[in-house]
Amino acid sequence: MNPKKPLTAETINLNLKGDTKEAILAEMVDLLTASGHIRDRDAVLRAVSEREKRMSTGMQNGIAIPHGKTDSVDCLIAALGIKRSGVDFGALDGQPSSIFVMTVSPDSRTGPHIQFLAEISRPLNDPAVRAKILAAASREEVLHLLIG
Amino acid sequence: MPGGADIDPVVRFILQLGLLIVFTRMGGIWLRRWFRLPGVLGELISGMIIGPYALGRFNWPLVGPIFRLTAAGAVPPELHAIAIFASVILLFLCGLETDLSTFLRYSIAGTFVGIGGVLLSFYLGAGCAVWFGLADSWVSPTALFLGAIATATSVGISARILSERRKMDAPEGVIILAAAVFDDVLGIIVLAIVMGMARAAAAGQGIAWNSVAAIAIKAFGLWIAATATGLLLARRLARLLKWFQSPGAIAAVALGCALLVAGLFEMAGLAMIIGAYVLGLALSRTDIVQLVQAEIQGLHNILVPVFFGTMGMMVNLAVIPSVLKIGLIYAVLAILSKTAGCALPALLCGFNRRGALRIGIGMLPRGEVALIIAGIGLSSGAIGENVFGVAILMTLITTLLGPLLLARSFDHPGSGLRRPADAARTQGKDIVLFFASPDMADFMRARIIRAFRNEEFYVYRLSPDASTYHIRKDDMFFTLDHEENSVTLRVPAKDETLARLVIAEEMLTLRSMLHMARENGQLDNMEHELVAGLFGGPNEDDPT
Repeated sequence: MNPKKPLTAETINLNLKGDTKEAILAEMVDLLTASGHIRDRDAVLRAVSEREKRMSTGMQNGIAIPHGKTDSVDCLIAALGIKRSGVDFGALDGQPSSIFVMTVSPDSRTGPHIQFLAEISRPLNDPAVRAKILAAASREEVLHLLIG
Repeated sequence: MPGGADIDPVVRFILQLGLLIVFTRMGGIWLRRWFRLPGVLGELISGMIIGPYALGRFNWPLVGPIFRLTAAGAVPPELHAIAIFASVILLFLCGLETDLSTFLRYSIAGTFVGIGGVLLSFYLGAGCAVWFGLADSWVSPTALFLGAIATATSVGISARILSERRKMDAPEGVIILAAAVFDDVLGIIVLAIVMGMARAAAAGQGIAWNSVAAIAIKAFGLWIAATATGLLLARRLARLLKWFQSPGAIAAVALGCALLVAGLFEMAGLAMIIGAYVLGLALSRTDIVQLVQAEIQGLHNILVPVFFGTMGMMVNLAVIPSVLKIGLIYAVLAILSKTAGCALPALLCGFNRRGALRIGIGMLPRGEVALIIAGIGLSSGAIGENVFGVAILMTLITTLLGPLLLARSFDHPGSGLRRPADAARTQGKDIVLFFASPDMADFMRARIIRAFRNEEFYVYRLSPDASTYHIRKDDMFFTLDHEENSVTLRVPAKDETLARLVIAEEMLTLRSMLHMARENGQLDNMEHELVAGLFGGPNEDDPT
């Protein structure tokens, strides 16, 4: 699949303001809402929050991959946010999370939704890529680091 | 209807086909179930028994001699056409089943093992014809065909043993499967060269070694050009095929394309099976491969035994005693050449003697391709009935011995590698999940399969009696096994993240469902409603 389609420069935020998990989730849903792909902002926030309640998507090394399924979107959409100081996201390694990749996909349609999440997260396994993303000066630079 | 002489030819053909299907399937199942031998042997022997050289020639009630020798040969032309169609299906499926990525990953060892086996087999096969008086020179059609027949390994028989012993992913198993790809390719090229030379000989042109080289270059060039074009256009072709949407239509059009390519190859001077194999190989890299395989499997199950049956029918049993000795010598040479030809390169590629021997034995069985080549040789007149009988004997013996020896070679559990630690690097990663009960494992198997299908993967069960599934999309390929209360997903390292995320989401769903079931009193109500009144009719002694 082509990871360029769901993630664009306009759905990247280099400086998230929130200091809590809830605030980060809301801020990223707002980022997606601003891109114009969401019909019901609250339904999307509810979908990703409920998924978080079942198990945190905070992984290791400061990466979190919040995601959810709702028919308030017509296709897979994605956003990336950075909070350099980190936020407690209930991560597996107990460390604060600083890079957030959010995906929202339609509930009633099949598609490579988890595949996108896996592909976009793959470069983040590399500590050098993570460091460059945290130090990036522009959204285009982040996009380039992730999808070339 | 005395002697069945006045049977309509079409009706006769239908009866012949019906008999052949019934008896070859019975023979195959009989040998597989009762003797645990490859079914192909039973199919071949069934053909021999009901063919025109045995029972088929007798005057049977109603139908007369159901199979009789005619000017066209032992097999009626209509059945011969069905057998050729079956061989095209067989080689198309063979191409589809080719695991190019495994071959590329282990291409160095696989190539050496494949080349070693093919070269030595061809040399000893052709040499057998020259040394024992079947051919007067190395370039006579008989020598060339016996060389070509000896080259073609039938890895399907070994693959079944490897699968039963769970050695498909062992270093020996991987090398056997990779070498078999090279073996197929080389065997096909050898056939193309041999056919070109046999045609030149039949046309009365002398064969000089420089013309051999020219034929070889032409055959190899045509093959490589067609294969490269096929691989380049495969994804586009798959997209076109997907336009038909229904799996049945996609598979039918794919098979139609295979027949068209096969016909064009024959017209270009290569064999039909080469064209079918090339198209199968091209589609093997696409995500519709499992779909096409599954849809064509039914046709394969019906027609391929007919192919083996007709090959059996072509064996003139009267010549067998006279070729028994040379047949046994040819079989022994075929066994030694393939075992040594594959084992020696394996020794140089990090295997110890045990591992090298396993690889050599795994490459031993000759089957469908050897028979197809022999059939082409017989029907083109390049080889006679006696040489065909020799080829059949060799096929029977190697097919019989191969699986028995391969199974025994794994009885000793020792590693086949000189440095056993290397084994860890060659194996895929297993994600193993244990559940409280087999029912729960089965439920999660179904959920995981559904999750992959939702991600637009193609998921296919390998066979109705096995709980192994192939999960495939583009170049991603997972294997899922369900056994008792465990589910195992074998994944390549590069796609492990995806596999873990898919499973993790399904585990979460399971947890939510269990939680909801516990919290939700609705289930109790539903259960009560379902059973309420089941046995609530009035009693006989009820006064009301």
